[in-house]
Formats: sequence, C-alpha cells, structure tokens
Amino acid sequence: MVTMMDGCNTLLKILRLPWCNGLVIAAFAAALAIPPTAMRPAFAAGDAPSAADRRCLSCHGGAGMEKNLEDGSTLSLHVPADMFAKSVHRPVGCAGCHSEVDLAAHPPAKKNIASARSFSLTMTQVCRGCHADKFDQWESSIHAALVRSGNAAAPVCTDCHNPHAVIKDAATKIDQIPCKKCHGDIYAAYLESMHAKARLKSEQSYAPICTSCHSAHAVKPTALGQGPQAACFGCHADALEAHQKWLPNAALHFEVVSCPACHAPDAPRKVDLMLIDSRAQPLGTEQVGVPVFEASAQSGDKGIDAPALWKLLQTLNRSGIAGNVVLRGRLEAFPGPQAHRLADKSKAISDCRTCHRAGSQAFQSVTVSLVGPEGRRVEYGANSDVLNSVISVGSVRGFYAIGGTRIKLLDLLVILAILGGIGVGVGHMTLGWIFRRYGLPSWPFGGQGGGQGNQPGGGEGQKTA
Amino acid sequence: MQRLYIHPLPVRIWHWTNAVGIVLMILTGMQIRYVGLIDVVSFRTAVNIHNTVGFILIANFFLWLVYYLFSDRIKVYHPELSPRKHFLGSFRQAYYYGYGIFRGDPNPFHVSIYRKFNPLQSMLYQIIMMLVLPIQFYTGILLWDVKRFSAQVDFFGGVRVIDTVHVLIFIFLIFYVLVHIYLGSLGHTRAAHYKAMLTGYEDVEEVAAGTET
Repeated sequence: MVTMMDGCNTLLKILRLPWCNGLVIAAFAAALAIPPTAMRPAFAAGDAPSAADRRCLSCHGGAGMEKNLEDGSTLSLHVPADMFAKSVHRPVGCAGCHSEVDLAAHPPAKKNIASARSFSLTMTQVCRGCHADKFDQWESSIHAALVRSGNAAAPVCTDCHNPHAVIKDAATKIDQIPCKKCHGDIYAAYLESMHAKARLKSEQSYAPICTSCHSAHAVKPTALGQGPQAACFGCHADALEAHQKWLPNAALHFEVVSCPACHAPDAPRKVDLMLIDSRAQPLGTEQVGVPVFEASAQSGDKGIDAPALWKLLQTLNRSGIAGNVVLRGRLEAFPGPQAHRLADKSKAISDCRTCHRAGSQAFQSVTVSLVGPEGRRVEYGANSDVLNSVISVGSVRGFYAIGGTRIKLLDLLVILAILGGIGVGVGHMTLGWIFRRYGLPSWPFGGQGGGQGNQPGGGEGQKTA
Repeated sequence: MQRLYIHPLPVRIWHWTNAVGIVLMILTGMQIRYVGLIDVVSFRTAVNIHNTVGFILIANFFLWLVYYLFSDRIKVYHPELSPRKHFLGSFRQAYYYGYGIFRGDPNPFHVSIYRKFNPLQSMLYQIIMMLVLPIQFYTGILLWDVKRFSAQVDFFGGVRVIDTVHVLIFIFLIFYVLVHIYLGSLGHTRAAHYKAMLTGYEDVEEVAAGTET
C-alpha cells in the first residue's frame, strides 16, 4: 500500500493535481489490478493509450454510448480512441481527469447528472488542476462573467477544447478556431477581412486570428476602451507615424477614434461618452448609483439630452464620489460582425468629410456609459443633440469633431456676423442716400448735433474736412 | 491738402499680409467648419492652408510687435489716459459716423504722424492686437496639435472649450473685416484710405495736421 501511495503521489506531483484524492486514484489503479507504477508508461508509451486507458476505451471507444440526464437530454460518453491517442491529454490518461470514477462500482448503478451544462461546469475545476494560469485568465474574462451571471451559453473550458481530442495549437488554425461556434456571424465577417485573407494564404502569416486581439482566455469586452487598439499596435507599431504623413492631429484621432471606425468601412459608427473620474478611470455603476443615472436617462424621449447630461455631471461632481467627473468621448464602430470585416487599407475611410460634416452618420448614435460590476460596459442611450448643444461646451468638453459636432448656436452667430458686417456698410450708405434725397432730420438729442437740419451730406465723395 | 507719411513700409507689409491672411483664414475656416455646405477645396487642403497661413500670421504679428517696440511710432498706440477725454472723443467720433458725416461735418479727428487712430480706433485696435489676435493665435496653436498641448487644452476645459473660443473670435473677425473694409471707404474720397495704406501717404488738411495733438 505504501508503494501504491508513492506511485500515486508521484502521479499527483507530475500531474500537479492538488485537488486529486490520492486514494481514489489508488482505488482506480487497484481495481484495474495494475500496480501504480504501471501508470507511468502512459507518459512514455508513444501514441498508444496506456493499458488502463485501453480498458476504458474498450467500452467508451464505441460510438453511440451515452447517458440520459435529468433534464431529459443525453450526454455522449463516447471517446474516439484514435483522436484521444493523438490528443495532448493522452499522457494524462483517463484517470487523470476522471478520478472520481470508482471502477469497483463502474458503471455506477445510479449517478445523477442534472444536465450536460452542469457536468461541464463541474469538470471545469478538473481543468483548473493543471491549467491554473489559463483558468485564472478565464476567470477574469467576459466569458466567466457571463457564466457567473447565469448565462447558459457562455463558454467554459470544454466548450472550446474537446478534452478527449485536444491538439496543441489547434486554436491557431483558422478553420478550427472554436470562437466560431458561438460567434459565427463575426467569424464569417472576419473571413472576409484582409487579416483572414492573409492568414488563409499562409498559415505562417502573422495576420491575427480571434485570439490575437481578444486573447484566448482573458477575453475582455472590446467596448471597454483601448485594449483592441493596443492589439492593432502590436503589429502595426508604425501606424501613428504612417498616419501623421497625411492625417492632421493624427495622435488625437488615435486617441478618440477606434481603428475599425475607419478600417471597417462598412461598419456603422457611434459615439460613446464614458464617465471617468479624476484618475481617468471609468466610473463604476456601484459608485454612481444606478437609480440616479436611470432618472437622467429617462429625462428625454430619445435618451439623455443635453440639459440632463449637464445636470447629471453636476450631480455627480457635487456628490464628490470620484473627484472631478468628466466624459471621455470616443468614436467607435458598432460592436458586431461588420467591425471585424477589416478592409485593405486602400479601402479604409480617409475622406475627412465622412465625419467632419453636419449630419454625419458617425454622430447620430450616442451612448453615455459606466462600467458594470463584471467590468462590462453599461450603456445609456443619449440624444445626439448632446454633441451639438451649446450646453455641451461644459459637459462634453473633451470630444469635438470640427464640422461634425459643431454647436448650432454658433452657426446662427456666423450668419448674424455676415449679415451684420454687410448690413453696417449697406445701411450706412442707404442712410446717406435717404438723407441726400429727403433731407437730414434734426439731431434728436439736442446739443452738438442740431442746427443744420436738412442739409444733405454723406455718400459718394463725402469730404471729411 | 498735405501729404503725410503715416504708414511706414513695415506697417504696410504687416497690414496687407494680415489682410490677405485673415481673409484666407476666414475662407478656409468656413470651409473647415461647413464641409458639405461649402466644397470649394477638400477639408484636408483647407486645414493645411489654415495651418500654414495661421503660422504666417503669427510671424507677422511679431513683425508688427518688434517694429513698434523699436520705433517711436509706438506712440500711435499710446492710450488716452484721461477717461473723460477718451469718452468725449469717442462720442464725437461716433456722432460723426452716425450723423455728422451725412450733414457734411468735418471729421473731428485729424491724423498726424504720431496720432493716426481716432479714439474709437485706438480702443478697438488695442483690444484686437493685445487680446483678440493673441487669443486666436493661442487657441489656433492648441487646436493645431491637440495631443501635443493636451495639458493646456485640459487646463482650459477641453478641446470643445478651446474651439468655441476660437470660433467666437472667428465670428467677430468676420464682422470686423466687413466693417473695416467699409469704414476704410469713408475717407475724403472712397479710395483715399485704401490708397494711403498702399503708398503710406495720407492726404491731410494742412491746418488740421498742424493743430491736432
């Protein structure tokens, strides 16, 4: 028994499975009547599964083996032997992950599994035993946040990685990337992008695949700022320099315009105004108090309007919850398939008029956002007039696109200045003509003006001396 | 009539460079602000011209500043320190433009070499040269490269605040240029002041030139 435990402990050490119950492994090995040391060949037996695994596969290798679940669905218990033999998990062996199986009583007379989903969630902890780093990354992801919020479609480990057939670097193959299972429409759009085209031409290409920009496990909501843009710069390090050759205020454009807003020319665009605190960190919903925000959001028919936005900022700043709260504006492509259809640079938007004109599509959709508890952006619709109102000089002070988000009141002043400027000359000359024709009225205020009443004057050839 | 050399060459160079430059700035500014409504040149071309002419005007401002700082002609900008005299002079001038000119009254202000601005001009030009144009140049430079000057832009409240100030002065300058051109025609002939600004010589009533202080 000591020998058996030593062997098991060795296995545990190699497998780095602190959660494993050594005794279960021992029981598993004992039930197979295999000395624990005999499990070691599983690490060095070439492509063939170990004897113990072959015994499992003698049943589970058969197609069609499945288990009825409590929710009425079935769980496939079939493990294709050939695929498992090629899998990176083959050296781990069946017992490496299924340590809970008691072969003395296998198959169990009754083992209730509520659903395939609940089983996957449970088995996720098994993955964690060896892949703690990846698991931690996943836990910080939007996927894990969705799982925690009860989303039944949000992926866990086994949704992307078939544990019985997992192959090294499979996720880097464009046709095998698991993201497409849920994000099929985005994947289809990606296939039309110049990145996919470059990658399809050569798998050795550095052109990015989903995980290159979004990361494989720590998948973050793209909408939260400049993470994806940083991914662009990972390859396009000279992008700013290249843009500075033709784009005025290129650095500013890089700060306030997301790359796909121009490089995915088919994608509709929108402006997001994110509330940030004195440290330029996004304000969280827990800081702001969502009811306060909801009241502002409902103040206008089309969402938050300019006066409501002004009041909201005043309220937040008076409350002193986060120092000086301001709005950080950003022009983005709507998240979705079209934002992933990144075109060749010759087709990217370079016509300034796309945005720098009144009525541009880019400024018709506006949101005001906060960050939710799981790091997800919480957006409130805003009336597009928040970008054009004179009130916004104080509230949307950091976001301004010449022409596109110009203040309408100033346009009125421009017209008045032109009419007034011309009017002064025309009016003065007209008065001169009238006075020459009909005579000059007496000075109405007395004093120095009076006296020479109807004497014509002014106009052409007027002498000053 | 006496011909007085009122506008020295550096002042004329400065004035006409300013005139052409400000008109160009207004036209390109209109193009930049009203893309879609006005499409004479492309937005990018308008921005490039606006930036280039802007820097020329800034250099031109310093030409004006250095010339007057090192010339005794700076006296033309000396303010009238007596509020009473300044107010009465301004009133007399406003009365002249609003009424007396139609009656054939003489212009109450008489030009001399060291006193070429009437009280209204004196006040207006000091505000324009020492306040309006420097603010316009400064906001223009900030808008030229917002990122480079982001600390200053943020200090003043953000790019929209800077732009609004820039546009308000732009609107004032539209009005100013139109009125300035008209008022320039109110010399003893319509073309007298324009010619003087080209040749440097103003036609001045001999007696008046000698007595005006």
